[in-house]
Amino acid sequence: MGKTLAEKILASHTADGKASAGDIVEAKVDLLMVHEVLGSRIIPILKEMEFNKVWDPTKIVVVNDHWAPASDINSAEIHRRNRNFVREQGIVHFCDVDCGISHQVLPEMGLVAPAELIIGSDSHSTTYGAFNAFSAGLAATDSALILATGSCWFRVPESIRIEVNGNLSRMVMSKDLILKIISDLGPDGANYKSIEFQGDTIEQMEVGERMTMCNMTVEAGAKCAPMLVNAYVRKWMDTLASSKKWTETIPDKDAEYIDTYLYDLQKTPLEPMVAIPDSPTNGKPVRELSGVPIDQAYLGSCTNGRIGDLEIAAKILRGKKIRQGVRLIVTPASKQTYLMALERGLIKIFIDAGGIVTNSTCGACVGGHLGVLGAGEVCISSTNRNFKGRMGHQNSRIYLASPATVAASAIKGVITDPRSV
Amino acid sequence: MPKNLESITGKAWVFGNNIDTDQIIQGQYLTLLDYSEMAKHTFEIPRPVFASKVKKNDVVIAGRNFGGGSSREEAPKVLLESGVGCVVAESFARIFYRNGFNVGLPLLIIPNVGKLVKDGETVTVNLLEGTLHIHGSDDVLHGRPLPERMLKLLKAGGAVAWYKQMAGKR
Repeated sequence: MGKTLAEKILASHTADGKASAGDIVEAKVDLLMVHEVLGSRIIPILKEMEFNKVWDPTKIVVVNDHWAPASDINSAEIHRRNRNFVREQGIVHFCDVDCGISHQVLPEMGLVAPAELIIGSDSHSTTYGAFNAFSAGLAATDSALILATGSCWFRVPESIRIEVNGNLSRMVMSKDLILKIISDLGPDGANYKSIEFQGDTIEQMEVGERMTMCNMTVEAGAKCAPMLVNAYVRKWMDTLASSKKWTETIPDKDAEYIDTYLYDLQKTPLEPMVAIPDSPTNGKPVRELSGVPIDQAYLGSCTNGRIGDLEIAAKILRGKKIRQGVRLIVTPASKQTYLMALERGLIKIFIDAGGIVTNSTCGACVGGHLGVLGAGEVCISSTNRNFKGRMGHQNSRIYLASPATVAASAIKGVITDPRSV
Repeated sequence: MPKNLESITGKAWVFGNNIDTDQIIQGQYLTLLDYSEMAKHTFEIPRPVFASKVKKNDVVIAGRNFGGGSSREEAPKVLLESGVGCVVAESFARIFYRNGFNVGLPLLIIPNVGKLVKDGETVTVNLLEGTLHIHGSDDVLHGRPLPERMLKLLKAGGAVAWYKQMAGKR
């Protein structure tokens, strides 16, 4: 029987080279990313473990991204602990509060490569699947054990194959596609599973668009979402990770999938989607929500704060003003993204339109700072989660949408189909 | 300290499907460095009285997909800190499931448990047999016995204690 991408990548990281769905295996990790959870939770656990030295200071990335720069005294303390840890342990890759969001920064640094096993102390670590990696989120204790040993146990996941063919039409983005897919799967439709995206739509997507897809698979419970390498990934690796040696992994033709979903966008064109509160899997076509008044439009996050996202939003906002009384907050995903946006004149477009541009951070997406919602407020957001209270007050409401829909809605002050502006 | 795995008796707090980690502990409290402070905000959104009324060994009962969303280990930690004896649900989100056993919070899967137990009932959970008994009735609900690996973690008292035991043997 053939093997899936998840099985093959995991197998290449075990001592005996074996990994079949359902097995529990011990696997060597290529890269571990930890963020503020290092200072707040992992360091105390390491002390309890009576730990001395990390397994390999070149294979760990520490990122201060969630509350960057510090939003309060506690986050300042967490950042301070992270800096000390990096120094004491001689960690080679450290991204302090100026860098941006981990899931954007790691690929920009050339630290993510095809066929690797990458773990992050953050659920959206599935994002690196866009690069053909087996990447999954874990939390503090597992991260502490990996820091000490460089390996971790995994239950080898079954895989769901999702094949998408056809073109996305004008103003329809990969965010709309993933909102549609996870709404079809439901919040636990891919729990414990690997999602393998295939088909010409995915093959033609730029890296950023692919990252949005893989990023949100976790909202359906997925463990990882390794994609096949395409021309854009090859170009990315040649440009940003030229010193890295890598080989791609491809699934066997007779690989066994527990489920297959087919999307034919020629036959059934996709519309812009909005996920209504309080689940990312509550996707509806935007026309059903048109006219819902908003207080805030948020463009940012590891899901949709990349240069392609800012470009489409700027295209819509160019020469226009946002509705009076509405706040537009733009948080580029990384410093590199910010600089690109600056060079291309996008930052000026946002500010001229009445928007606020913040530094790169998880910020308001996690209810941290720079755009937290008050009681009863409504936000249309390009982020990944609209759980009750996620971005602030428990009575605030979040509608998830693409950057295009966020920009169009900011102009009108109500949820708006981006094809109409 | 290994838990009594055969008999956890307490009051049932019943929740619905898809209780995500933001409902267990909201993101705004994650920078708190002291778990006892953080635990005061457990289930603040879905059950504001929980943190002040929960007693040692009370049992959290839930429907499908308990603990989805963020990977935050603070979610099982605040339950443990609050005194929760175990969580019994119809299914768990994968990261929460790992985290629970890693920190020493027992988790048991029993089909339909969210519909069969009423809020406030006293229940006894036997983790070794995978059963839940509702006091005042003859009802014993049967679930999946715990996987061997998870039992080992619980018996050791969590993943850190397990690691130290293993390190001692090396």
